[in-house]
Amino acid sequence: MKSAILKITLMVGMVLFGMSSMLMAQTEEYTLDGMTFGMPEAEVYTEDYTGSPVVGEYVTQLPNLAPLDYEGNKHHEVRIDIIVQEIEVAEGVRYQAWTFGGTVPGPVLHVKEGDRITFVMKNRSDEEVTITEPNKGGSPFMNQVAENPYQKNSSAIMPMPHSMDFHAGTVAKDDKWRTIGPGETIKFDWVANYAGSYIYHCGTPSVLMHTAMGQHGMVVVSPKDGYPTDYEVDREYVVVQSEYYLTKGAGDLYTYDYEAASNNNPSHVVFNGHQTVLHDQPLKANAGERVRLHFSNNGPSGTSSFHVIGAIFDRVWLEGHPFNEMRGMQTVLLGASNSATIDFIVPEEGKYILVDHEFVDAEKGATGTLKAGPRKK
Amino acid sequence: MMRSLRNISALAALMIFVMTAFIPEIVFSQTARVLVPAGSFHSILPEVEGEPIVVDSFYMDETAVTNEEFLDFLKANPEWRRSEIPPIFTNNGYLKEWKSDMEPGYEKLGENRPVTRVSWYAANAYCADRDGRLPTLNEWEYSAQLLEFNTEAEMNKFSSGLINWYSGIDVNNLAEVGSTGIETTTGVKDQFGLVMEWVEDFKPIIADELSLDCGTVGRMNTLGSVYSYAASIRYITRMSFNAKITTGMVGFRCAYDEPAPSSQNQNGVSL
Ligand SMILES: [Cu+2]
Repeated sequence: MKSAILKITLMVGMVLFGMSSMLMAQTEEYTLDGMTFGMPEAEVYTEDYTGSPVVGEYVTQLPNLAPLDYEGNKHHEVRIDIIVQEIEVAEGVRYQAWTFGGTVPGPVLHVKEGDRITFVMKNRSDEEVTITEPNKGGSPFMNQVAENPYQKNSSAIMPMPHSMDFHAGTVAKDDKWRTIGPGETIKFDWVANYAGSYIYHCGTPSVLMHTAMGQHGMVVVSPKDGYPTDYEVDREYVVVQSEYYLTKGAGDLYTYDYEAASNNNPSHVVFNGHQTVLHDQPLKANAGERVRLHFSNNGPSGTSSFHVIGAIFDRVWLEGHPFNEMRGMQTVLLGASNSATIDFIVPEEGKYILVDHEFVDAEKGATGTLKAGPRKK
Repeated sequence: MMRSLRNISALAALMIFVMTAFIPEIVFSQTARVLVPAGSFHSILPEVEGEPIVVDSFYMDETAVTNEEFLDFLKANPEWRRSEIPPIFTNNGYLKEWKSDMEPGYEKLGENRPVTRVSWYAANAYCADRDGRLPTLNEWEYSAQLLEFNTEAEMNKFSSGLINWYSGIDVNNLAEVGSTGIETTTGVKDQFGLVMEWVEDFKPIIADELSLDCGTVGRMNTLGSVYSYAASIRYITRMSFNAKITTGMVGFRCAYDEPAPSSQNQNGVSL
């Protein structure tokens, strides 16, 4: 009787779920215009992995960018697991974020045009993962967060299906960007064919909800021949703008506010995931220096009119592509998922305010400080 | 949607009146079974033809299966205990929070809280053991929308609250079954607000044809209501599971074609 139940259960399961379709994958690699296409089929599997949620030498915490210390191209092995973290996004405002790697936005991946990335991601949304303790085998990101957990992370659980969509990758989304359930791992390759700064985000519907809950980050793909001003750059930072749609929940925590999200009415618009972090921890430079910002508007829904008070953008490469050069811009208008690589000269000692010049956003938090010391050269 | 809700609830109210007038009193020893009368509802799956979907009458557990009830099942069915269950039926998170095979650890999990971290296979076996089955997706969804609202604004408020709830189910602090105050017009409790629940065909054949992307929610929102938006999140989440998944936010309840046999209505007796 009992084993009959076992058998029937298994059979029903096989019939219902065993036949789920196998995707036909493009596995033939080819080159076109010097770029590489046709990645092998993604693998989805379960693994007992309990190690560091973020692995990879060139993965850092905002606003840092890992230096590319290698010649030519490199094959990167990168892991960014999906974990749930209770985080602070403004004074007194905490919520259970859905994250890549434990922070919002997720870690910054830095690669070079033409690099190949083998990416692994486990959906650990059903597992408590601590990211604020020093760990072995992790990326620089892990140590930076342990030293400076500005979102005051604590582990949490909220099992949900998720996926990864790297805008820097050129692949079939129904294979590589596949949704995986809690406990599952996905592994796939992609090649950074185009230079620039690209967002990554969860593509599982509701995309609005998943992105607003915190699942987005940035990949910086440095051009293989660089930007014309590379030799003059003194400081390089990454800044990401994004929105939160939060409302006070039943307890102390805030929760997702569906109404606000569907009405484009964010509760907070922030730089680097926290309303005051870029004031509490200003970017640093000195008078006379050339500062480069890789700036991305990760949305999910808003636009950004990015400006630095007291500076003019000497060079702007829209989307970070070296061919898209503009000069002398006061403001860069970026739609959701647009980015720019921006150089400006810091004129004198003092404070420079980074701001979304759409002032409704600025007043919801989209501001930050660059603090300039006296001229050194 | 509102109109059909009202009609159905009026019908349901009538049925309940008839039931309570003519059917002998139901003794709540085990989880009570509630009759869900036949009716129809609109599926949010855009590819489903022949709307609305007609659902025959069936019985369903009033509340989700609790830790205590699941422990009872394990007493009689050792092959479903944590250390015994064959790996083809679960991932390694099965009853992970339990102290041991036969010890849920009620101080942490609560005897009357819904059992979670059970695979679809285990949920299925439990219901089979109770001479029942998991409700079908359509049965569960049909029952779930038998809620009564006075105004459309009230329904929208409830539904946006539901979406917010899907973003942050507090799996470490689940409430007891029957405690959410959310009850359908036929008396089924907590289909929302407690945990998500397994259904028999959680990944319908059509799921493979649905391309999950940023447009999916919009394509599913055929009723243009907040309720159908919330439902799309539920459908999509459920479809992305596989039958071996065990998570802290998924429990289940059983459905039946027959009312509870009278012997099951006696206190202290269980099959
Ligand atoms: Cu997601």
